[in-house]
Amino acid sequence: MDAGRSVMPSVRIKQPLVFSDGNAAGQSAASSLIAAGNAASGKAVAPEPKLIRSLTRKHYKITEVKRGPETRIDGTVLTIREGIEQEAIDSQPLVHDLKIDIITPDRYHTYSETIMDVQPIATKEKGCEVGSGVTRVLDGVIIMVTGTDDNGVQIGEFGSSEGYLDENIMWGRPGAPDEGEIFIKTQVTIQAGTNMERPGPLAAHSATDVITNEIRQALKKLDDESLVVDTEEFHQYRRPGKKKVIVVKEIMGQGAMHDNLLLPVEPVGILGAKPNVDIGNVPVVVSPLEVLDGCIHALTCIGPASKEMSRHYWREPLVLETLFDPDLDLCGVLLVGSPQINAEKFYVSKRVGMTCEALDVDGAFVTTEGFGNNHIDFASHIEQIGMRGISVVGLSFCAKQGALVVGNKYMTCMVDNNKSEGGIENEVLANNTLCPEDAIRAIAMLKTAMDGGDVKAAQKKWDPKVKKDNIELISNVTGKPIIPVKNETSLPISKKRLEKYS
Amino acid sequence: MKYGDKIIYMEGVIVEVTDGAVGIDLKGRLGYLKIPMRMLITDYEIKVGQEVGFQMSFIEQLGPEVNEHYIHNHQNMAAETDPNES
Repeated sequence: MDAGRSVMPSVRIKQPLVFSDGNAAGQSAASSLIAAGNAASGKAVAPEPKLIRSLTRKHYKITEVKRGPETRIDGTVLTIREGIEQEAIDSQPLVHDLKIDIITPDRYHTYSETIMDVQPIATKEKGCEVGSGVTRVLDGVIIMVTGTDDNGVQIGEFGSSEGYLDENIMWGRPGAPDEGEIFIKTQVTIQAGTNMERPGPLAAHSATDVITNEIRQALKKLDDESLVVDTEEFHQYRRPGKKKVIVVKEIMGQGAMHDNLLLPVEPVGILGAKPNVDIGNVPVVVSPLEVLDGCIHALTCIGPASKEMSRHYWREPLVLETLFDPDLDLCGVLLVGSPQINAEKFYVSKRVGMTCEALDVDGAFVTTEGFGNNHIDFASHIEQIGMRGISVVGLSFCAKQGALVVGNKYMTCMVDNNKSEGGIENEVLANNTLCPEDAIRAIAMLKTAMDGGDVKAAQKKWDPKVKKDNIELISNVTGKPIIPVKNETSLPISKKRLEKYS
Repeated sequence: MKYGDKIIYMEGVIVEVTDGAVGIDLKGRLGYLKIPMRMLITDYEIKVGQEVGFQMSFIEQLGPEVNEHYIHNHQNMAAETDPNES
């Protein structure tokens, strides 16, 4: 049996492709495949994997969402109580208005304010905590948070994704809606001028969660097991004797919408969570199953194409691929905020280095979202880890527009999350976020580095051919094809994109 | 761009600070810039009145076309965001 994986019949989340078959397929950052060696090739009997905890997802299918006198789920029909909007508005002094719009696939060509977040609707069964036990989740429907302030200024100002939904969403990305899903879209209006202050975006999210939470309560009440259309099992194993790795996820912490609520009571909830800005952005260790069970409620930053929304963590490809890789011993996920001031960036990155040292890991992945000054601490995390003799791979959107502003001698293994044709932030939601094809390249690269293989230096200028070549090389070695995800060219082209980026 | 390689050193003064953005007056009365916080690299606590430096080129029109998308977003919103009929 492959440790970490039991029966997983669902395709609700992106199934890990798990390319490991005992060979540490390697790749270089500059198109040359490195060792396909087997570092741990000693024939000594490896210790048995140790099961740490398990998580079960029960899926309930929703085919229709309507309004009615009571929030309830009848079979595959979700009814949302009429008038709940006022309670959502009243719950937050900064929220002046809230509208609910139910977007069915035939209404995808609808104008929307900027999409702040996409969230799964899920709840824990009685007695279970986020990260273990049983989670119930609705399939076929998601929560979408949108909004402006009283003056019509987008809450996600700067590169916002307002416009027609079908022209601005990259379907099927881990963080984005899947085509065919129904959106329960809130359009929140917050007090003028608070769109760039911390309480504003938080109020929009909190008001929306009033609605989500009522749906969660309805989901909890279901006692008809026949409504469960699918069950997924996630097992977190430690694998003694295998290369010990950690996933370091840099999340935004500069303030305003650059914040994340950590460890709510309910998956992607609000209650019980702490904003990472208030924690001082210091590293927080969570289990991979907590990540996959919605322990991060992302307020999401600017840069629609590269921001990691709450749903992204729910189906985080790197965590999934690493968790299920029988050749890696994933010891945890380290969440570290990205503060504004350089001194604070270095403060938290030193803690990242010290944490990795204390955990005695062989390798680390460092991911970030978006671009800008967060690349300074991203580079510093890699330096702090690398200087301790730990192999480290960085993942970020870079390409042309997000080119790194700093570097150091430990930044030799880098994976670019770019998918856009032009290598830019193209305002298409989630287009340039971390996908399974990026996770696979990163894992191959880290295995190569941990086994002492070479990773060629990247060219000075961004060249999409590097990624293409590396994918081909990995496919050739593993014998398992990797089909790159589609990009914005698969969407109906908006006038905005046509005129701006063509 | 025809003149994109003409990079000029510019300075500005921070005139507005919010949790998510800063407003910058360009010295010499050359304009105003508002940028997300993460596009500003800072070694110190950000305060109104601090000076900043950066390089930029002249800004050029990319063509004569008007992008209706940007102009009509708000009109679209008013026209198309119907309350949910169901």
